[in-house]
Amino acid sequence: MGAGRLTIVDAVRTSGLVKRFGTRTAVDGVELTVSPGQVRGLLGPNGAGKTTLLRMLFGLIHPDAGTVALLGRALDGLGGEALREVGGFVEEPAFYPYLSGRANLSLLARLDAGPTAAAVQDALARVELERRGDDRVAGYSTGMRQRLGLAAALLRSPRLLLLDEPTSGLDPAGTRAVASLVRELAAEGVAVLLSSHQIGELERVCDTYTVMREGRVVWDGSAGELIAQAPASAYALATSDDELALQIAADHAGVRAGRSRRGELALSVREGCLDEFVFALGDARVAIRRLDLLVSPLETMFFALTSERAALEELEPEELAETVLAGL
Amino acid sequence: MSTIAPAVPAPAASWPLGGEDAIWNALRAELQKLSAQLTSRLLVVVCIAGPFAFAAVLKVQSGTPSDALFGVWVHSSGFAISLVILSFAGSWGLPLIAGLLGGDLFASEDRHGTWKTILTRSCTRADLYAAKLLAAGTLTVALTLLLALSSLIAGVVFVGAHSLVDLSGVLTPPGKLLALTLLSWLLCLLPALAYTSVAILFSIATRNGIVGVLGPLLVALLTQLLDLIGKGVAVHLLLIGSAFEGWHGLFITHRFYGPLVISSLVSVAWIAACVTASWRILRRRDFLASTVSRGPDWRTPVRVVAIATALVAVLALLANTGPTGDTAYRLSAAIGEEFNNVTLLQQQLIGRRVPAGAKLDILPNCNRRAAKAVGPGDWNCTLYVYLPQAQSVPFQQTSVEYDVSVEYDGCYKAQSPPAFIGGPTMLDAHGNTGTNPLYIVYGCFNTL
Repeated sequence: MGAGRLTIVDAVRTSGLVKRFGTRTAVDGVELTVSPGQVRGLLGPNGAGKTTLLRMLFGLIHPDAGTVALLGRALDGLGGEALREVGGFVEEPAFYPYLSGRANLSLLARLDAGPTAAAVQDALARVELERRGDDRVAGYSTGMRQRLGLAAALLRSPRLLLLDEPTSGLDPAGTRAVASLVRELAAEGVAVLLSSHQIGELERVCDTYTVMREGRVVWDGSAGELIAQAPASAYALATSDDELALQIAADHAGVRAGRSRRGELALSVREGCLDEFVFALGDARVAIRRLDLLVSPLETMFFALTSERAALEELEPEELAETVLAGL
Repeated sequence: MSTIAPAVPAPAASWPLGGEDAIWNALRAELQKLSAQLTSRLLVVVCIAGPFAFAAVLKVQSGTPSDALFGVWVHSSGFAISLVILSFAGSWGLPLIAGLLGGDLFASEDRHGTWKTILTRSCTRADLYAAKLLAAGTLTVALTLLLALSSLIAGVVFVGAHSLVDLSGVLTPPGKLLALTLLSWLLCLLPALAYTSVAILFSIATRNGIVGVLGPLLVALLTQLLDLIGKGVAVHLLLIGSAFEGWHGLFITHRFYGPLVISSLVSVAWIAACVTASWRILRRRDFLASTVSRGPDWRTPVRVVAIATALVAVLALLANTGPTGDTAYRLSAAIGEEFNNVTLLQQQLIGRRVPAGAKLDILPNCNRRAAKAVGPGDWNCTLYVYLPQAQSVPFQQTSVEYDVSVEYDGCYKAQSPPAFIGGPTMLDAHGNTGTNPLYIVYGCFNTL
């Protein structure tokens, strides 16, 4: 490092990461970086290799090839020092059911040799568990265990958070609180790698995405790049004159419309084409009674990258409407 | 934009242990967990209250656990109670404690799905493994010592700190007995730790707490079975259970340490082998999806049981190989000298004067009640005694028959019909009822 030059070390850096289980390759040459302050969403269908990748980052699984460095420290597969400032969990958080939430956290604090009882109290308060902190974990709901998992992650003041489905089991308020917390931590410079099936939640917090399929990274980039590259988004539309709206859509490049068997309208709209279509409806005195985003750019990108399904633009109008209104 | 700095190898990469602090922190966490578990608390209660309950039951009944060494003396000396408990503990109690402590220590992390929780903290796998080993070892030692102290106190409280006839038939004073009894318990720590390491290996290899807990008990059962069927010394000495009998040689006038040293080394070898094997399994393990919801995996335990069964079969076949130390010559020499000692002791107890250095003229003749003339099992010993009688010219010859049950390690229990030696109890010179030292005779000889 040169004198006077600030070097920012990547929070996560993997190189050629491979994991095989028998003849199946679960993770195949994954290159991944997460920078400080960045919230990276890790997307992929079931079996894409997300959880295996996260387990390798935590040192729970030995890679067959490749390297992992967390916060600049090489992970040797046995955890320890490389995980010192890394928090989070993979799959559902697990605790000792015969201990209280507070005792579980203090036990983990002991393993970290750092946080105090006050830090445990703060962590419990931050996830709104302070009132149930002295109850045995055996009596916790799924959502409460999820909150305790977040508290355990925050306990060590991490510089890197690895979260696997962090909002699973949480109510809507809890989900929003987690999203807010993640953004707050990212603003403080914490790097976050967030794996989730709930694409809508990822869109709220992530600024970069990595999409995996069959163990490989099939797309990697920023939110802006994703929107620019994303196939058409999909909307449900209800107007004062649906027939006229269909005709107007047919005249607009980048907009395709169809009607389902139940008579509902659905649109597939390429990025940047929606505004002109809406203006045209207004010019034709067609009132828009409902315009709901059903499939976001991230979702269409996700499905385009990870499924065998045809792109929205390639569907026949009626098929488009049926597909979109069924929620893909 | 971030620049990439080369990854710095973490200290953990060059050495699997995170340092003394990390192990100490992990050890404290393990002890915190164990202290919160019902099993650990129950074990403490049983180790404290068990000997008192045992002594109390003996107090209210006339029978004695005479099959155990010193068992016939439980109404006469509190130290006998502690030594009988030690015998039982070596057979079943300590393997059970080891199983309950070590057997579930690792498998419980699989059951609760908590490996991923603790392995993603600041401790390395090696730290956690070392801490769990230390926790299991510490508690095994603590509970064994607790049992030892509790049994001694219970014996003294219910019976008293009285002298006890040793395995050579000599009355041993309380001070020496206390030291020997404590030393005996301490010598059993090594095999207890060996059983704990077996439990840990079962726990890690099978990821199944039930197999981990039962593993040491199965090994203990195997020891008992091989004791019954095998005549050879070699296979017995390779089993952990033999180390629980090493202390017998301390209660002999002419002490022998060979079996004690060998069985202690064998215990160390068991510990080293189990610890090494279990660490290699744990270090290489990939912690995949949680097994919490799927319940225990029985495939690995079945494989382990199959391997163990094959091992048992091999050991059973080998149990008769090698030399046997149970010979007629050794048994005759031991029982002859012991009979002399207990006869003189009996005479002293009933108030007859026995001159210092007095010695009976005894000719022992022992024969094994089986086709083979050597080995453990049922023996018959005839002791031809030339008694100095006041009216005899010059001596009167009589013979005493003893049924002798000999163990593979040279320890025996000899019992005779009461015609010559009297019943189980007798009146001493002061009119008190006490144990007849001739009724049941315990002894040991060196088989090496």
